[in-house]
Amino acid sequence: MKPGRNLIQKILMLEIVRAMWVVFRHMFGKGITFQYPHVKRTLPDGHRGALGLLKYDDGVERCVGCDLCEAACPSHCIKVVSEQVPDKPLVRYASEFYIDMTKCVFCGFCVEACPVNALGMTKLYEYSTENKRDLYFDKKKLYEVGETYFADAKAYLVAHRQEQADETAIQYRYKFPFTVLTGKKE
Amino acid sequence: MGTRDAKTARLMSAGAEIELTINGEKVKATEGRSLYDVLSGMGVIIPAMCYHYTFTPFGSCGMCLVEVEGKKAPVRSCTASVQAGMVVRTETPEMKEAQKKALIKHLSTHPLDCPVCDADGHCELQDFTFQFGIGEVPNVKQKGIPEDTRSTVLDFNMNRCIVCGQCINVCKEVQLIDALTFLKKDGFTIVTAKEDKPLACEFCGDCLAVCPVGAITNKFSKYLYKPWQMKKTQTTCPYCGDGCQLQVETKDNRIVRVTSKLTWKSKWGDRAETAKGHGGICGRGRFGFQMVNSPNRLKLPLMRKDGRLVETPWLDAQDFVAERLTKIKMDHGGQAIAGLISARCTNEDIYLFQKFMRIGMGTNQVDGTARYGHLNVVAALRKAFGTDRIRMMNNAEQVTHADAIFIIGSDITETHPVFNVRVKEALRKYKAKVIVADPITTHIARLATHHLAIKTGSESRLIQGLVKIILDRGLCDETVLQKYPNAVEVLKQAAAGITIETTAEATGIPAERLAEAAEVLAKSERGVVLFEDGITKRKDGYQNVLNLVDLALVCGLFEKDGAGLNALCEENNELGLVDMGGASEFLPGGLEYQNAAARGKFSKEWREEMPDLPSVDLPQILDRARKGEIKALYIVGENPVGTLPASMGAAEALSKIELVIVQDPFLTETGRLAHVVLPATTYAEKEGSFTSMEGKVNPVRMVIEPIGESKPDWEIFSELAWRMGFPLEYGSAKEIHREIAKTIPGYFTTKPEPLTVELSGYLNNGYAKEAPSRYAVKPGHDQATGPAGYPFTLVLGQILYHSGKYSTQAEGLMKIYDKALLQIGPADAERLQLAAGDTVVLTSPADGVGAIEVGIEIQPALPAGLVFFPEHFNTPPVKDLIAAELDPVTRVIYHKRGPVAIMKGAS
Repeated sequence: MKPGRNLIQKILMLEIVRAMWVVFRHMFGKGITFQYPHVKRTLPDGHRGALGLLKYDDGVERCVGCDLCEAACPSHCIKVVSEQVPDKPLVRYASEFYIDMTKCVFCGFCVEACPVNALGMTKLYEYSTENKRDLYFDKKKLYEVGETYFADAKAYLVAHRQEQADETAIQYRYKFPFTVLTGKKE
Repeated sequence: MGTRDAKTARLMSAGAEIELTINGEKVKATEGRSLYDVLSGMGVIIPAMCYHYTFTPFGSCGMCLVEVEGKKAPVRSCTASVQAGMVVRTETPEMKEAQKKALIKHLSTHPLDCPVCDADGHCELQDFTFQFGIGEVPNVKQKGIPEDTRSTVLDFNMNRCIVCGQCINVCKEVQLIDALTFLKKDGFTIVTAKEDKPLACEFCGDCLAVCPVGAITNKFSKYLYKPWQMKKTQTTCPYCGDGCQLQVETKDNRIVRVTSKLTWKSKWGDRAETAKGHGGICGRGRFGFQMVNSPNRLKLPLMRKDGRLVETPWLDAQDFVAERLTKIKMDHGGQAIAGLISARCTNEDIYLFQKFMRIGMGTNQVDGTARYGHLNVVAALRKAFGTDRIRMMNNAEQVTHADAIFIIGSDITETHPVFNVRVKEALRKYKAKVIVADPITTHIARLATHHLAIKTGSESRLIQGLVKIILDRGLCDETVLQKYPNAVEVLKQAAAGITIETTAEATGIPAERLAEAAEVLAKSERGVVLFEDGITKRKDGYQNVLNLVDLALVCGLFEKDGAGLNALCEENNELGLVDMGGASEFLPGGLEYQNAAARGKFSKEWREEMPDLPSVDLPQILDRARKGEIKALYIVGENPVGTLPASMGAAEALSKIELVIVQDPFLTETGRLAHVVLPATTYAEKEGSFTSMEGKVNPVRMVIEPIGESKPDWEIFSELAWRMGFPLEYGSAKEIHREIAKTIPGYFTTKPEPLTVELSGYLNNGYAKEAPSRYAVKPGHDQATGPAGYPFTLVLGQILYHSGKYSTQAEGLMKIYDKALLQIGPADAERLQLAAGDTVVLTSPADGVGAIEVGIEIQPALPAGLVFFPEHFNTPPVKDLIAAELDPVTRVIYHKRGPVAIMKGAS
């Protein structure tokens, strides 16, 4: 660059003018950022948010307490205690279910491991709290999340090709013997 | 069991050594062995879902296929036996394809409910499905059989069953129980208890252990956790003297289930872990774990305030105990303090306790539960064998390979369920002759080749009679005749008054059957005598052990390899208790306290002078307490009030003592009378070791963290000692372990040497005087029936599902058996017109007991005149009916048998 031209540029403050041009141009164009929390972003279906436990349409808990999520979890944040459903010796369910959200790394392995699609990742990410203990989700809280954000979780499972929108999970994911789910003969 | 090679071959002369080719490798094997055994010994893993080395090959699963040159079709390696020049290939693609086909056949009826199945992650079918990479299975058929949950401990899910028959075979051939069977139902073959009834067997759980899929599940841990979630720790069983190794599986400081080395997986490899037994455990070990996490566990020390026991912090309780003990020692001297310890504690605990009492308190009033019977064995065999430490002469392997086994005074199935499998194997596989002398037709008596249903209490007459028959008929061992001619002469003289007829009359056994039994024993090459509480805990226990020594002597059992005389131990660490000095007459290592040199040795090692004090045993402690001479009593894990009959006056004695300290995981009857109760941990929460009845020291490992604020026993002693100003400082049980290893050289050796038996000292010194006194027939002496009007004999004993009172805290065992009922024979029941559900009123000549009403159960095994009550239960207090007697020599308290009268109760 020639020294004379450089001097002219400095006198006229062309760089600033150019910068201001960019600023002013955006002032009148469409905004890129969101005015969170007034405006919220639309999340893709594959978004990995808070985990929730799901139920079938008839209100039966999907979870059979198989502990595979616990085995798959890389950060050891899941704890499952399972039991037999009273009077149904063939049916197993999770009597206790805990996910420590402070440890969760949102990898989605647990959802992938679940043979009955009982776990789903929702689009919920606003659960910050003053009390850290609230982030230790128990079974009740997980079903609350699952119920409130069922559509999200379903969309997540569909996006990950774990479940089809028009078919029930039993048919699609894992061919469980009928007796195991209902305790009765077909 | 274990390896079926060299030893079996030697003993059974199975066949010559041959050579065959396996996968191009030349291999030597014994002719007649299963090809599968040879393959698995080489480290080749072939799926075999119906095969286990513990029983004869069954050949139902069709998985263990190999190619044998010259045979067109694939050969099942489990049922095929090796032949010279055989050429075997296992890894060919055709074999893999054949195995895969067999596997797919199994999968087509197996429900793929792995996520809910308890065997998930520990399933042979699952493992091989992965290995063969099977995806889709055609023609899937579901059985849809409802689960059989009728049994108390096991659930049968027959949808998952692959009909391999391992459970049935292990029950039939190893346990000789034969409780399970195949049954055709709705077009499918299922496994069920005989006659399709709810399963009611010994509940050893071996069927559960060998099941290669999840068809049989443990009810107490069903669906709780998956195998990979649990931490597994190997430790030693706390119930009987067998010293079985348990695999305790825990999650979050709770015991979830107990398994053992016996699994479907144990059929592969060198089987070193199960070489000396089948590796299984019994119902007590498998289902009796809940007492560790029982809600009844003490979590804080209790102190008596205003007549009530209230929870107190450790610091206050320890300060109180230390202060009071110090004051009592200052005011009254060490002779006012006594201690009592249970054989359920670890060696380390017992060692430290006796050191605490002998060094710290300056007293020799330390005793243990060996006083209830085991000391008879110790005293008699020490005298006869000339050794300090007594243990079994034969190990489990030798018992398995014995050719004659004489069991007296022991219902071995009930008391030692796992050791009993050795006897059963000797019976089944090695065709040993088993003689059982027991008035009750026990399970082992039914299986035995000779059952001598002797009259109650005629054990000593039987033993002496057998000695006499052997001498009379010239069956006495030649070596013994040469080595100890004088002793044999003494015996001949002593037993002169006994004839086969008098013995037959006294025992109620026909003369010819006695002669037969005597002949079997005397002519045996590897004869083994097993005896237990029926000898040691009943009147004349000490004398009877010496009588058994005579019998073993004339049969030559001390001279022959693999033969011997063996005392079984009821409690898990009875041997350790005596070895660690937990009896007033013994210092650690079995040295006598009254021996000044032995005392000097320990004084030097412990750097504290041990004065020459009298050995004060449990009966004397109670006596002295009643007289007010004992001011403080420290009871560790023992429950004299709950165990001893009222006539021993344990409760009264405790009430006279100023300071009673009870240290126990639970609040026992004795604990309720104590001034301070310190919460101790159970076996699962501490490190240490138990000595099995074979003399093998087994490690006890910490399975979970202590419950509540309970502490290991040694830690409590150590902290108390520190507070009282005589430091017994140990950082861990390991440090005590090291000290024991130093004081008793070779105690913790992994390969204990055989017990050295040196009889010459005994037979040459005073035997001539002592033996005749034993053989003198005292009229009416052997009859247990007491004064007129008390025609029945009450026997307190152990049942299969319980061990002491400890196991009654285990919820699972209580579910299996919680019947505090008097067992009565059918003949007596008929005579008294009793039916199941009735009650009877018991009275006895014992002072001040009165009548006790108790429910009955009709037990077909019992003879007329004998009634049985499980000693584990205290409500109603049937134990009080027996007047305790002391052995004149060993001062063992006999309180397990006595006369009673029975009348039909009101309801």
